[in-house]
Amino acid sequence: MDIRDRLNNVFQEVFKDDNIQINPETTADDVDGWDSFSHVILIVAVETRFNIKFTQKELLTLKNVGDLIKRIEQKSPNV
Amino acid sequence: MAFDSYKYLLFLPVVLSIFYCMPDRFRWLLLLLASLCFYAFLQVPYLLLTLCAVIMITYGCGILIENTKAQKIRRLLFWIGVLSNILILGYLKYLSFLIFNLNDLFSLLSLNTSLTQSPDLIFVGVSFYVFQAISYLSDVYLEVAMAERHFGYFALYMSFFPKLLLGPIERCADLIHQFRKKYEFKYDNMRTGLLMCAWGLFKKLVIADQLGVYVDSVYGDVHSYAGLPLIFATYFYAIQIYADFSGYIDIARGSAKMFNIHLTENFKSPYLATSIADFWRRWHITLYRWLLDYVFKPLQMKFRTMKNWGTVCALLITLLLSGIWHGAARNFILWGMLFGAYLSCSVFYRQFQRKMYATLSLENTRTQRLFQIFVTFHLICFAWIFFRSPSCENIFYVITHLHTGIMQFLGSAIANITVFHNLKQLMLPITLNSPKIFLGYLICIGIIMFEQIVREKRGNFFLWLLAKPKSFRWSIYVVLLVSIINLGKTSDIPFVYFDF
Repeated sequence: MDIRDRLNNVFQEVFKDDNIQINPETTADDVDGWDSFSHVILIVAVETRFNIKFTQKELLTLKNVGDLIKRIEQKSPNV
Repeated sequence: MAFDSYKYLLFLPVVLSIFYCMPDRFRWLLLLLASLCFYAFLQVPYLLLTLCAVIMITYGCGILIENTKAQKIRRLLFWIGVLSNILILGYLKYLSFLIFNLNDLFSLLSLNTSLTQSPDLIFVGVSFYVFQAISYLSDVYLEVAMAERHFGYFALYMSFFPKLLLGPIERCADLIHQFRKKYEFKYDNMRTGLLMCAWGLFKKLVIADQLGVYVDSVYGDVHSYAGLPLIFATYFYAIQIYADFSGYIDIARGSAKMFNIHLTENFKSPYLATSIADFWRRWHITLYRWLLDYVFKPLQMKFRTMKNWGTVCALLITLLLSGIWHGAARNFILWGMLFGAYLSCSVFYRQFQRKMYATLSLENTRTQRLFQIFVTFHLICFAWIFFRSPSCENIFYVITHLHTGIMQFLGSAIANITVFHNLKQLMLPITLNSPKIFLGYLICIGIIMFEQIVREKRGNFFLWLLAKPKSFRWSIYVVLLVSIINLGKTSDIPFVYFDF
């Protein structure tokens, strides 16, 4: 399973919606319930699932799911 | 120079005329000189020096940060720029308050020492452009924006006169590029800008200042009142502060529009908010976006392993900072903390709230929305008591005396149809014993609520008005002009947010 599929599973679990299908252009406006509260839960879930830790700067400059995927790829090259 | 002064009514057309006649490449210079003159009109020389210092420090740090590759040095330069700005703001705005409270603490601890009280300094505008400077440095440091290399455009971004004194707090990515565009006269911008200025003046001089007469009488002497006068004063203050501040912003945005510059909208029907979080997405939008992006989100991420409690800590710190920003006084700190408490509670109860509405089959219904607006508005009005009261003792008095006499009044109102006679006895004699004045106040409130409803449903109040038939529009223009001339208070009453 590649990073995008694993990340999609995380989204489905966090937002309790099996129909979610993310793509690189997906933003908070595209996912029902993705607000600042659920964003923290999402980030913690991503860090736990991929065994990585984001820096403050990385977290504050994420614009969309594509940026998130790139950061995960940079931090876990063996995935 | 205040927007509601005769000086500004001369200043703006003069600057516009020269701007129109100037070659395009010098227009930024004219606006910059006009902005510095605008600030100089306050006749407080150290303010002009402060603005220049903030501009130079921020410009220099921005370029150095961008030119530096080493991450540690970039971070150091960022913090030098930010802390320099905070020190400037702190010295002008908070030093006196800090010394006062330290002396209080020494006295409480029976220490035989005290610090010399520093004089209260004027700091009009500083809170706004210092925050704008910090947002610029943050965006450059995070590489979400490029540092501006042209000193003139940067200085203009910081000092542009329509937004200099009371905001909006603009992001560099939204504003600087507009100064580079070639100017072309646009009739629609001129027309809309004029309407926005007139509407803003009407809200400030006619609505805010008239309501302020009653509010100031009650809140200036709260111990003489109890019950209905306090309740009415609080409701009136909610409308007054909105009309005052949004009126200023309308004049600021209208003035900028006449130069083809778009400033960020700062109010979106705040009293139609359905939750406290929603209120902060509608009230003083640019300040709360600043706090969200540069304080709340970094803190929330830093505390993310604490889950909901991490979000609560981030909220409390952010809203505390919001209270402190508004003023060097204990009532503002309490006001900020109250909103922090409101939002913190919502972190825990929102899931139960959703279940409750679903159980009652009210989810996404008009009833739910109206109920939420009603509750939210009253939570905000309760918070305004803290904001308006000059001392903590007054806050406590108002809160504990809001209900006084209400049951007797309601009882006699039910038993006796001459309720207005009872109302008169409970009201402040100098303003509300006249049905005409009371009706006038209700009309003021009605106008403000109408503006908010139109904004909510149509997206833009001014475009809605400009699309109406000519006869309707010109009737409104005449009413605005006549009201401002006949009912407008003098420019002796400053804008409320000048204190922040």
